[in-house]
Amino acid sequence: MSLGAAEVISNTRNASAGGDKPPLIDIRNLRVTFPSGGAEPKAVLKGIDLAVQPGEIVGLVGESGAGKTTLARSILGLPPSPGRIAGGEVHFEGRQILSLSESELRRLRGRRLSVVVPNPRAELNPLLKVGDQIASMAKIHLGVAGKEARRMALEILREVQIPDPERRMDAYPHELSGGMAQRVVIAMALICSPAFVISDDATSGLDVTVQAQILALLAKLAAEHGSAMLFISRDVGITAHFCDRIAVLFSGEIVEIAPREPLFLEPAHPYTLMLLAAFSHSPKLRDSWTVPDTDRRRERSAGCQYADRCPIAQPVCRTLRPPLAEIGPGHFVRCYFPVRHA
Amino acid sequence: MSAVLTIDNLYKRFPIAGSKQVVQAINGISLTVEPGETLGLVGESGSGKTTVGRCIVGLIEPTAGTIRFRGTDLAQRQQHKAKLAGKIQLVFQEPNESLDPRMKIGDTISEPLLPLKLDRETRRRRTADALRLVRLNPDLLDAYPSELSSGQQQRVGIARAMVTEPELVVLDEPTSALDPTARAEIIDLLRRIQSERNTAYLFISHDLSTVRFISHRVAVMYLGMIVEQGSAETVFNRPQHPYSSGLLSSVMLPHPHLKIESSVSLKGEIPSPINLPNGCFLASRCPFVIDRCRHEMPPAETVGERHTVHCFRHDDVAASVPASDTFNVFMKEAERILGRAVPSGVAPSLQ
Repeated sequence: MSLGAAEVISNTRNASAGGDKPPLIDIRNLRVTFPSGGAEPKAVLKGIDLAVQPGEIVGLVGESGAGKTTLARSILGLPPSPGRIAGGEVHFEGRQILSLSESELRRLRGRRLSVVVPNPRAELNPLLKVGDQIASMAKIHLGVAGKEARRMALEILREVQIPDPERRMDAYPHELSGGMAQRVVIAMALICSPAFVISDDATSGLDVTVQAQILALLAKLAAEHGSAMLFISRDVGITAHFCDRIAVLFSGEIVEIAPREPLFLEPAHPYTLMLLAAFSHSPKLRDSWTVPDTDRRRERSAGCQYADRCPIAQPVCRTLRPPLAEIGPGHFVRCYFPVRHA
Repeated sequence: MSAVLTIDNLYKRFPIAGSKQVVQAINGISLTVEPGETLGLVGESGSGKTTVGRCIVGLIEPTAGTIRFRGTDLAQRQQHKAKLAGKIQLVFQEPNESLDPRMKIGDTISEPLLPLKLDRETRRRRTADALRLVRLNPDLLDAYPSELSSGQQQRVGIARAMVTEPELVVLDEPTSALDPTARAEIIDLLRRIQSERNTAYLFISHDLSTVRFISHRVAVMYLGMIVEQGSAETVFNRPQHPYSSGLLSSVMLPHPHLKIESSVSLKGEIPSPINLPNGCFLASRCPFVIDRCRHEMPPAETVGERHTVHCFRHDDVAASVPASDTFNVFMKEAERILGRAVPSGVAPSLQ
């Protein structure tokens, strides 16, 4: 499977990364907390700033517990329970999403903003034919009549390259393979041509050859519909080939964000280097970016969240929280001592 | 014969309840694993990888064919119970689902020793050894699985398998539920154990990058057949089966410029194992297909040392792209990018 199409699309798009145009979606200082046993709630997102340009695919990587899914859901005003949005703004098409009423939000979600999640079977109603489920999205959000909605559903099923789409319209979810169910969920997310799509690890459960087909499809549809995407993944390798820019999330903070070439060829945050070293198959490289025997789940109350795990931390790192600073064009890093490459 | 494991022409069919149809999960596979060797078993879901692993450990009975462990036919597992006890072990994919949540870690690890009828002192020593082997803190012996990270849970899964000092361990996707760092640590651990104990591994995975790194040899499965089998280097650098080539081309290494070249782009999905096509199972998805492929199953051809392939056009497939060792190029790149990097002076933001 070649990602040729995606490559071409993203090359024309790179110039816009962090450019002068107004962003499609602008997340400012988004903070989410979860109640903890103590008096202070636990901060899960600690001030996320992220702007995505029209047509751009931004990758979001990080390990479990970093806050990836919390971010995906909070952008839509739906932090995972019992989380609470503690502050910040999400600007989208001239509106501040987080201040909208529940009914205004409902009208926006699914129509202008969509999320594709893993585990497609949990998203589909087992008692309804997939064609009706897809068509109902168009009926609810676009107000089209039943016949037109079914025509649109068939067309989007064709676009997501489901084999034999006429027959699949009348299939129930259990009759579909995992790859096909995932395509149905993607079709539901895209039928209203949303401007912004969040893919929350939506391809990780698929086999590699199916995954490659779905990624090429997402890139193609994004380009054709002019939509932008936040592509959240556990698989760092995919983002190197599929995304224009990549943000690295650690402990509820973006610690590095850059266009894909500087991010992978000149990574600057010690956490990014540690993460990439995990894929190098070299214990020596991994050791050089790891502090042995640190508790990975421990939170710091002051300074850099990564200070205890960082092999190059200095005293200042334990007292002052570093800001996100630009070290190259569009390349930002939250570190006082970013790694430089010769 | 010195092989730890010899599988000869194995078949497994599952009847479908209420129907005359059968799922043809394994369709005549043969393989050997030598002591201290890792055989990587790769393929998509539905290819039969897990079924092979379960036949080996005796969780399911094969329909036909033989599985021999050190020459002993495992169909007579019961007669050779004493000889086989603890010699073949299995590690599961989901550590939190395979550990009993109500059992303390120490009891979980020592449980496989119970049928071996060892005295209490030996059991305690073996458990402590297994714990050391996987580098878990002895304080955790009294902990419950829920108190552990998923990486630690998988270490417990491995310790539990290793405690009986097996000669063969079937590892069924042992790292796919883990974060990158934990995955890398588990792979290091498995390699270290293998070099210390000369344990043979059957490593089942769809993560080709990890398989390339941990395996000496690799077997590529498609619809219950091993379509190609050979040394990891040969198969990955110059695949001779179109399916191996297509599978490799979907590997995405974390480097924006490195991709494995292939003339095969796999469209569609793996067909149902209920009604298998006549001829080659890949024919409907294969760009190299010729008429013959549609009605004749290509036999296993030996194309090199311990390297077999089921394809009439394997020469054309091999010649379609230049041989390349992309994984090694990637490792050298990683060394260059992550190794030479030096911490800078104080950043402008602090001045």
